[in-house]
Amino acid sequence: MTDASRHDGRVVPVYAVTGGRTRAGDHDLPIEAMVTAAASPDAVDDLQPEYRTILDLARTPVGLVEVAANLGVPVGVARVLVSDLAEAGHIAVHAPGYSDGPPPQILARLLDGLRAR
Amino acid sequence: MPAELIPLKILVAGGFGVGKTTLVRAVSEIPPLLTEEAMTSASDGVDDTAAVPDKRTTTVAMDFGRITVDDTLVVYLFGTPGQQRFWFMWDELARGCVGAVVLVDLRRIDDSFAAVDYFESRRVPFIIGLNDFPDTEQHAPDDVREALALAPDVPVVRMDARSSDSGIRVLVTLVEHALARAEARRALAY
Repeated sequence: MTDASRHDGRVVPVYAVTGGRTRAGDHDLPIEAMVTAAASPDAVDDLQPEYRTILDLARTPVGLVEVAANLGVPVGVARVLVSDLAEAGHIAVHAPGYSDGPPPQILARLLDGLRAR
Repeated sequence: MPAELIPLKILVAGGFGVGKTTLVRAVSEIPPLLTEEAMTSASDGVDDTAAVPDKRTTTVAMDFGRITVDDTLVVYLFGTPGQQRFWFMWDELARGCVGAVVLVDLRRIDDSFAAVDYFESRRVPFIIGLNDFPDTEQHAPDDVREALALAPDVPVVRMDARSSDSGIRVLVTLVEHALARAEARRALAY
């Protein structure tokens, strides 16, 4: 079902971009993780286009899934690329990682925000 | 230094064609986006009752939307396939989530059993959204509660997945429920 060629004329399989890696180290980013660029794409030499695109998207906070959709790659691939940039210190990752769901004070804030809509 | 961003997630579950995509799009502030999760699973397109052990890598399309709640709180909504063969991806989605809206088509209530079962067994807060299709019978919410064998505290609400206002009201109901559960759990812990 993955038709890589439909995305921006991509001719290289998406997993080639990640060097065949499908896991992002020991700590997988949760699917709701957001990232913010710590560097501009121009300030970093020799970046692959996909990394540049991510840094560009992350000038304002952007979600991992939004990165995946913009690059036209599966979430697993975006996760590897985002983790690479995080390890290199080029982006900051925001992921609270509530294993048991958000605490009451966060849920109360969410409720206030939704009710105000 | 701005306060730390806190991304949250809410799941939208239910059978095929029940309105998951419609709901996500109705409440999302970003244009409809689709991403894919690549995974090894039983071959797609195989009928549920005839699961063939044909393991191969496939991709599952996943709708998502976003609501920026305040300066630092952001909610992602994920609408994903509700069939049992996709449960392996639900585990990741469900971890740490606020809760889930299980959409029910009154003509096919049984399609929502699997999702209800899943969230109950993993203690994920969920509510039932009865999507009003034009030609559905006017089931009372209590009938649906009985048909799905729901616990008494699980909210059942009628809704229109196409309406942003209706969608937000459903999310409010879910978060009220999740908050009540979280507070009850905290009270028990002391």
